[in-house]
Amino acid sequence: MKAFMEEVKKNKALFVMAAPAVLLVLVMQYLPMSGLVLAFKNYRYDMGVFGSDWNGLANFSYLFSSGTGWLITRNTILYNLLNLITSQMLAVLIAIFITEMNGKIFKKVSQSVIFLPYFISWVIVGVFVYNIFNYETGLMNGLLTAVGLEAVNMYDKPGAWPVIICIFNSWKWCGYNSVIYIAAITGVDSEIYEAASIDGATIFQRIRAITLPSIKPTIITMLLLQVGRILRGDFEMFYQIVGNNGQLYNATDVIDTYVFRSLMQNSNIGMTAAASFYQSALCFIIIMVVNAVVKRIDADYALF
Amino acid sequence: MIKRTKTLKRLLATGMAAIMTAGMLTGCGGGSSNSTDSSSGQESSGAESAEAEGGEAAAGELDTSKEVALSMYVISDRPAGQDIVDENLNKILKEKLNCTLKINYIGWAEYANKYPLLFSSGEEFDMAYAASWLNYPSLAQKGAFMNLDELWPTYAPDNFAAAPEAAKEQATVAGHYYCVPQQFATTNAYGAIYRKDLVEGSDWDGVMETFEDIEEYCDIVKELHPEIEPLDQYSAAPEWSLTYMRHQGYNALAEGIRYLWYDPTEENPKVVANESYEKMPEFLEMMARWNEKGFFTKSALSDTDSQKFQNGKAALRVHNIDTYRGQAILHPDWGVSYSNFVKNLSHLPYTQDCMVISNTSKNPERAMALWNLITTDQEVYDAFMYGVLDVTYTLQDDQFDITDKDLYGEGAMWAARTNELNRNPVGTPEEFDIMKAEFEETIAANNTAEKYSAFVFDTSTVETELAACNNVWQQYWWPLELAYTDRETGLAEYAEKMKAAGLDKIMEEAQRQLDEYTASH
Repeated sequence: MKAFMEEVKKNKALFVMAAPAVLLVLVMQYLPMSGLVLAFKNYRYDMGVFGSDWNGLANFSYLFSSGTGWLITRNTILYNLLNLITSQMLAVLIAIFITEMNGKIFKKVSQSVIFLPYFISWVIVGVFVYNIFNYETGLMNGLLTAVGLEAVNMYDKPGAWPVIICIFNSWKWCGYNSVIYIAAITGVDSEIYEAASIDGATIFQRIRAITLPSIKPTIITMLLLQVGRILRGDFEMFYQIVGNNGQLYNATDVIDTYVFRSLMQNSNIGMTAAASFYQSALCFIIIMVVNAVVKRIDADYALF
Repeated sequence: MIKRTKTLKRLLATGMAAIMTAGMLTGCGGGSSNSTDSSSGQESSGAESAEAEGGEAAAGELDTSKEVALSMYVISDRPAGQDIVDENLNKILKEKLNCTLKINYIGWAEYANKYPLLFSSGEEFDMAYAASWLNYPSLAQKGAFMNLDELWPTYAPDNFAAAPEAAKEQATVAGHYYCVPQQFATTNAYGAIYRKDLVEGSDWDGVMETFEDIEEYCDIVKELHPEIEPLDQYSAAPEWSLTYMRHQGYNALAEGIRYLWYDPTEENPKVVANESYEKMPEFLEMMARWNEKGFFTKSALSDTDSQKFQNGKAALRVHNIDTYRGQAILHPDWGVSYSNFVKNLSHLPYTQDCMVISNTSKNPERAMALWNLITTDQEVYDAFMYGVLDVTYTLQDDQFDITDKDLYGEGAMWAARTNELNRNPVGTPEEFDIMKAEFEETIAANNTAEKYSAFVFDTSTVETELAACNNVWQQYWWPLELAYTDRETGLAEYAEKMKAAGLDKIMEEAQRQLDEYTASH
């Protein structure tokens, strides 16, 4: 405690600067956590959050009663891993391409075009998807029948949807993510590149030996930050692309969409809290594990 | 430097941990003391208020010497002309009841999240819209609304006297009134809304009474107008099995439970599940044929266009008679017609639109008196529902016409409608009133089904099973109903998943409640 007071005295200005952020986190993130007790309660409006009766784990049972709990947990984790890896890899690739480009105007234009999907709302993307895959009037079947092939009913093939969702996710996010990598690459000392080209290194050798190692810390930090979101499936994306189509649920259902559907019709606050509690707990475990692994490999890269 | 940041981090971490534990401790502590307080407090306050009200009632009239400002929550998007309507209404209310009313809107985009929170936030307001589709019974059971046992008969005596017995019974949850139900008779009539102009010039026989007739009609539409989808089906729950079951004389167990059925004309109705109903294979075979013939798109469950009939992209949809009227007014040249498919007609629960008073209301007596006024006085009702005469609406032979839809349509407090005060919109087809009268006659002549119109399935003990079953129903039944999945293996899979989700427990509970209801009525 004494050491802490000394610390405060020494870095007064720094603590004052940090105070608003710490307060914000306390009020917005830590205080509401007490609401998690709702997950274990049979909520009544007239008794309030703390006055309602306890009911053990009953609120959690709907998640697991029909075996869907494991399926949606698996889907959530796999989807996020897949999306995480593909969108980050693509972002790195795009960043390298763009920085290696010479024509200034072409560079700016292509960067903007790649960035653009970020601004398109998932609602619109959902409409795109439907108009591409609609069986009777969709773009895809129009093309297929035009070249004499048989029309395909994509809504009949759940297996194809992880790929479709992954493609749309990358398309939407890679431009946005690449900005950070472009900044990281720009920060690399240009003298190293010059020295390399004088020594006769080809462009691929330069990328492999200079660019990639220099942005490795950025890549790892970005990955770690994304891991924190791994159990929060991008609800809007799944909801807008898959919507009410039950045929695809086994392949596309994530925790968020399942909970949304279950609780749309009954306003059970306890069950909602239980789902969110389950998500948070899993999330916590995953972050701890990933961080521990990173720490094992190279302590400098760990978040904490 | 590194070392120092490390210690700092550690300090921060411990600090956070300490704060969190402290938060939890106070949370728990507060919890336990609160619970005892509130439960005991409730009983006594309940007794007190009952006494107080009784005393006042004995003293007679409501004291309106003090002006009060009342507020009401409804669900809809706030119309642009609400301010003009408020001003006009408040002028009348000030004079008649010395009060003003502020109407707050919860938009369609946010009601699902915001509506339940309305009652837990502690915000002070007086009245709100409630409905069976907004879980009125379950919210009432959880103590979201004020008890109206004394308030309703005392301060809204005319409304109370006019309420049908069935309405009062439906408003009762656990032995108490928690809402004032609407007094507008609506029936469970449901059926085909279809366009006659599309089959003109063909040899269609003009009969629309059975599912064979629908198929015949669709065949002709498909042939004459291949660009139009015969049936309106988009990503919302398919209603063909619902209509089919009602056509066979069955009622759905509850509005949101369309996979359990009972026949209200049986002496002791038995709960039947989709998968065990004997005619279900026949129905699924028919749907497979319809799918094959292309009566609806093979991607319907991903189609979000909910206006296909209205925009002329589909020829037939199933819905209630009010939707039929709406479409007939919108498209007078389409020859829009309606045919009821429900075999056992009965009145819909009056609680499908109702008014509740908030626990936080400061002036429940005045709010109740206001409700009495709105539901019995044509002038107040018109100002409340239709707005300002000749500004937001005009009158033609007692039918109202909205002057500008973007300014003000119709009030969103649907629970205020009564048979006497409600007006038809201009352009209502003659058949509308004729058909409605016919439905009433049918019910009056044979009211065996009416017995169960007050039956409300109390879901509080099976909520987790219901949440799971609703999911299975959507995931496996919808594609099955539209014949996107194989009807035999699909049905078996559906049955198996339903069982795993706890359907048996729901059926058992439903049967118990039905038996209880049958015995007591």
